[in-house]
Amino acid sequence: MASDSLPARQSRSVVRSFLLTLPIAVWALLMASAAYGHANRAQWIASVVTVLFMITLFFMMMRTSSTYRWRRWFFVALGLLFPVGFIHQVMVFRGTMGIPIEEMIAGRTPFCFLPIPLLILPAAFTKALVFPGSILPNGGMSGGGMAAMAGIWLAITLVVGKGWCSYACFFGGIEEGMASLPAKAKIRKIDSRWRYGPWAVLLAMVLLSLALFEPAYCMWLCPFKAVSEYVAARNTIGLIQNGIFIVLFGGLVIVLPLLTKKRTQCAFFCPFGAFQSIFNKTSVFEIKIDKSRCTPCVLCQKSCPTMALTDESIQQGGTLMSCMKCGACVDACPKGAAVWHIRGTDVAVKPERARLMFLYAAWAMSIMFAGGIIAEGLATILHVFI
Amino acid sequence: MAKLKSKLGYTGAAFTLVIAALAPFLVYPQLSKGFAHLGLHIDEIYAGGPKVRTIQAAGYTIDIRDQVNPHMFQTEKPFVQLDWKPARSLPAHISDAVDIDGDGKPDVKVSFDVPHDPKTPLRVNVDSLNPRYESMQDVGKKKFSALIVRVDDAILVRIPVKQ
Amino acid sequence: MLGLASGPACVASCGPVLIPSLLAERTGLHVHARYLSLFLATRLVGYLLFAVVAWELGALVSLQAPTRPLIFAVINLLLAGVLLRYAYSVGKAYNRPLERRELVTIGTAVKHRISGAAAIGFLTGISLCPPFVAAGVRAAESASLASAILFFAFFFLGTSVWFLPFAGFGWIRRNEGVTTVARMAMAVIAFFYLYIGLMTLIGKHLYGV
Repeated sequence: MASDSLPARQSRSVVRSFLLTLPIAVWALLMASAAYGHANRAQWIASVVTVLFMITLFFMMMRTSSTYRWRRWFFVALGLLFPVGFIHQVMVFRGTMGIPIEEMIAGRTPFCFLPIPLLILPAAFTKALVFPGSILPNGGMSGGGMAAMAGIWLAITLVVGKGWCSYACFFGGIEEGMASLPAKAKIRKIDSRWRYGPWAVLLAMVLLSLALFEPAYCMWLCPFKAVSEYVAARNTIGLIQNGIFIVLFGGLVIVLPLLTKKRTQCAFFCPFGAFQSIFNKTSVFEIKIDKSRCTPCVLCQKSCPTMALTDESIQQGGTLMSCMKCGACVDACPKGAAVWHIRGTDVAVKPERARLMFLYAAWAMSIMFAGGIIAEGLATILHVFI
Repeated sequence: MAKLKSKLGYTGAAFTLVIAALAPFLVYPQLSKGFAHLGLHIDEIYAGGPKVRTIQAAGYTIDIRDQVNPHMFQTEKPFVQLDWKPARSLPAHISDAVDIDGDGKPDVKVSFDVPHDPKTPLRVNVDSLNPRYESMQDVGKKKFSALIVRVDDAILVRIPVKQ
Repeated sequence: MLGLASGPACVASCGPVLIPSLLAERTGLHVHARYLSLFLATRLVGYLLFAVVAWELGALVSLQAPTRPLIFAVINLLLAGVLLRYAYSVGKAYNRPLERRELVTIGTAVKHRISGAAAIGFLTGISLCPPFVAAGVRAAESASLASAILFFAFFFLGTSVWFLPFAGFGWIRRNEGVTTVARMAMAVIAFFYLYIGLMTLIGKHLYGV
């Protein structure tokens, strides 16, 4: 069917791009002003820089009509600056990245979103949360508490579905950055069955978490303990656990993305990503393939950082449910066949409208959640000089 | 039919934008409150059992908490937790015979030093006077079910219960 | 009653082994009914064998401290081996057409093949999980071997009720994705059991926090 959409990658005028960016600019200023009560100089400068950064990236997304490369700047910044701010906070509160048992008993282990799927079955059986945190804020590193993280996770997921993995996850940016460094992939042929890895890890970790009544992934397999915190090793088991996460981080987050130019941890391992895929079924926004325009050159498949496009899915006119809505395939498609889409509407009729609506929602969530994290990381660095 | 689906799709997209706009002001706070009111609690292996009794000593108190039993296949043993507080008012050496089950007879004798520096690691000796409770010799932070730690202004001792 | 009350714990302990292996079988209620029957039957054999040992030796009540962890370690190592072999066998079975009701078997030569369901059922039947040990203590105190066996049989029935809903896995349509997920999950869980078995065998504390 004929598409009266914007031709792929046609620039918008500066004025029009500016006007489209205005709502995001207002939102960013609103979020920044709410973030800090009494900001010191470093925090104030960091806030201003972050606001300008997010507004500029959105402006460029409007101006160039491409999404992926601008979103990637934000995501890599988030992935690099989160550990800076977090580790600094941990060192200030505790003096060590290792979580002492006292902090676990006091319920001051900060809660990240990764254990959410592991807590469901134990809580359903016994109403007990198998995580040494606090449901409400409890001082120290407990932050907003588990209720706050659960609430914010659900709010963002309702809006973007598995777009969480492209617009909110503060871990994925490191490997996305690594994957973007080389010009060409050294390993090009990857067995497509590896993309079932996250589901297998999710199944195994959910079952083991119920059997052992502990957050099995956090205790044994989370690679991101290398850039956040971990249970302090006091014996052989602790050393083994720490060794595992170092190896996984080095392999899945640093080395394999460099070799494959894929987000290997996200695509082949992350159980939370598999869990988030379920919410792609409830999300209104998706990416579709307009079969009338598709040749198929499979450039979309090659550009996808998580192998969410296969020959079969392209033939069927869409992506797999593991699509993170990063926009790489849409930007890579030379025929404008890969398009943003709103469920129920005709494919490739006004895809730019679908893209705009999605980006307003997603970018608003990014600013709300990740903007503060980026600013905190920046402020930590600026504190050294100011 | 196609028109209706399209209208529903755009309505859903617009609704998503509304949720996004309301997220920090209404959606997220309400969802967080909802989660907090689900009636869930932190697993007692971490948090310790609820307080059942307090024993008054000279200048400090000993809170006795309910026994915690492991769930499913947790590798911890069942334990009881005793809290000495306030830690800043404790004498340099504690040696208390504690009646845990409230039958009037002491069940364990707990002794530990209270260092001046709160960061100094603690060690505890527990002599079992009731075969239900296990003795511990020079134990620090062995396991969640057998330890002595300082948490805020309290010193917690967890004593394993024989299975 | 002990069996019914222990059911969720039994399902939780057998779940890591049972659920991925169920997912690895073919679609069909009849296949899953057959799988569960074989699994529960061999589990019962394991239970009754344990009942005899527990009563004859009075072993469970006075089982020496070093022996129980050794048994636990060996069973975990065997479970790990069976799961890994099972995961491998599923791959082979998927690549050749099976009879409609055929279950995945493990082993090489035809005469040495055993059903994966049977192997897993027996091993979970003799694994020393807490409700099982509690039942064993009761059985060891029984007046006669017959009453010990009867006790365990009723315990088995009580826990087995909780396993029946798993026949519903037969409705899940199998494709390459489901089978691959099941095999990978089996491998992850197998490595975990391997670790637990090895650590118990060499006498380390399992969890050091």
